[in-house]
Amino acid sequence: MIVFWFLVKEGFHGLFRSGYAGIFSIIILCISLVLIGFGYIAARDTLVLVDNIRSQFDIDVFLYRTATAEEIQQLTQEISAMPEIEKIVFISADSAAQRFKSEFGEDIFDILQYNPLPPSLTISLKKPYQHVADIELLAAILANKSIVDEVKFRKNFLRIIERYQQLILVIVIAAFAFLTLISVILASNSIKMTIFSRRDVIETMKLVGATNNFVRAPFLIEGTLEGLCAAVVAVIFIALSFYFINNYLQAFISYRALASYRFYIGLLVLGSLMGLVGSLRAIRKFL
Amino acid sequence: MSPENEIDMINFFNVSCTFGKEAGVRNLNFSIEEGEFVFITGPSGAGKSTILRLIYMDLFPEKGKVVIRNFDSSKIRANEIPFLRRKVGMIFQDFRLLNDRNVYQNVALSLYVSHYKTKEIRARVYKILNQVGLGHRIYYHPSELSGGEQQRVAIARALVKEPVVLLADEPTGNLDPRVSTDLMNLLAYINQQGTAVIVATHNYGLIQRIPKAKLIQVNDGEIVNIT
Repeated sequence: MIVFWFLVKEGFHGLFRSGYAGIFSIIILCISLVLIGFGYIAARDTLVLVDNIRSQFDIDVFLYRTATAEEIQQLTQEISAMPEIEKIVFISADSAAQRFKSEFGEDIFDILQYNPLPPSLTISLKKPYQHVADIELLAAILANKSIVDEVKFRKNFLRIIERYQQLILVIVIAAFAFLTLISVILASNSIKMTIFSRRDVIETMKLVGATNNFVRAPFLIEGTLEGLCAAVVAVIFIALSFYFINNYLQAFISYRALASYRFYIGLLVLGSLMGLVGSLRAIRKFL
Repeated sequence: MSPENEIDMINFFNVSCTFGKEAGVRNLNFSIEEGEFVFITGPSGAGKSTILRLIYMDLFPEKGKVVIRNFDSSKIRANEIPFLRRKVGMIFQDFRLLNDRNVYQNVALSLYVSHYKTKEIRARVYKILNQVGLGHRIYYHPSELSGGEQQRVAIARALVKEPVVLLADEPTGNLDPRVSTDLMNLLAYINQQGTAVIVATHNYGLIQRIPKAKLIQVNDGEIVNIT
């Protein structure tokens, strides 16, 4: 326990003794954490937006005008029983005509002297099934029904969204990994500078009988503390930026930047880990 | 010279160690007993420091082996070396003190690495600093001390862990003659208390101050005489 506190104290002292090299490490880690933080929030909100767009895609099932009420009801019940269905709405030919009038301002009877609009079912899918593959499968089943004339959904648009959603995910993960790696390497190099400037401490500790773990521990604590300091600054910066966006920029943009306490804790943990890994990597060269 | 079956504190068995263009040693055979005072002498580059480095296992023989009590250079694992160094005290010409901490912290470091309790660390550090005459300089930093005082701190750091042997590599190299005499008197006193002392030096004037000391003369990496 005494040794533990000694090492912790050494780690804290090291932080204050490290001078400019330590400050440089903190700045590097802080910039990376700010970028990672903003990148995460931007990616998260983009994905939520894309998800919202996807959920608004319905399948329109157009029925033959000759379909009877019983047949339609039977089909509706059949579709409702399917596990992927969230909601099903029947739009009669008359309702379709009314909708046409409300949307285009003209009565279709006045234009064509009859109502060409067929009755239809508008189907919404549950979230896990909002994929092109699932929708195509369902559309094929529905198209085979005797009273179904045509099944329509915005296949191409959905495909584009799906592809971009995946692309965004890949970009986010790659950027995240790249930034983390680069900042660990940069931080580790600057921590290496601080360790190099204190190699006399390492040499002396080894001469008086310190084990490698004993020599390593204060530097790891110091690196972790540097990472934590950087994360604290990054958290304050991000929180202030969000406060600024939400309170002063609402007149210009309708976006609200929100982050939970878990996000901030995650950044603190990530910063500490980056400092720890950086110092672990740096001290290896001296033992 | 010592046969392999004899138990001495430090044994060199046919030790050869050369490294690059720097001085090395060849076919060293000698032993040092508990409580002995030993001078290793010879001109610069003769291999004196190499012998000390072989004892605290900063270097390993290419041929032969060095045995310090139950630590055998041919068998020792890297993680066992710190335990050997807790038994071996070392002082250097350049003192190797840490300037970012005071005298107390420099000396206490030796005990922290060996996991002593704070109370015992404090008691031992105060005692040893009083013994080397630095009880009044306890919170000074090395840069505030004279060369002689700095070497005393280094001695205190080496002795506080109660080593079986104290190695001194040109300990008076940076000190004036008067302080050198004081330092040799201190080393003699430490030896009288039972700690073996090995001093590597090219200063023959020091040797005359400890008449009963064993003398190992080296030249060009080989032992030329042991008296």
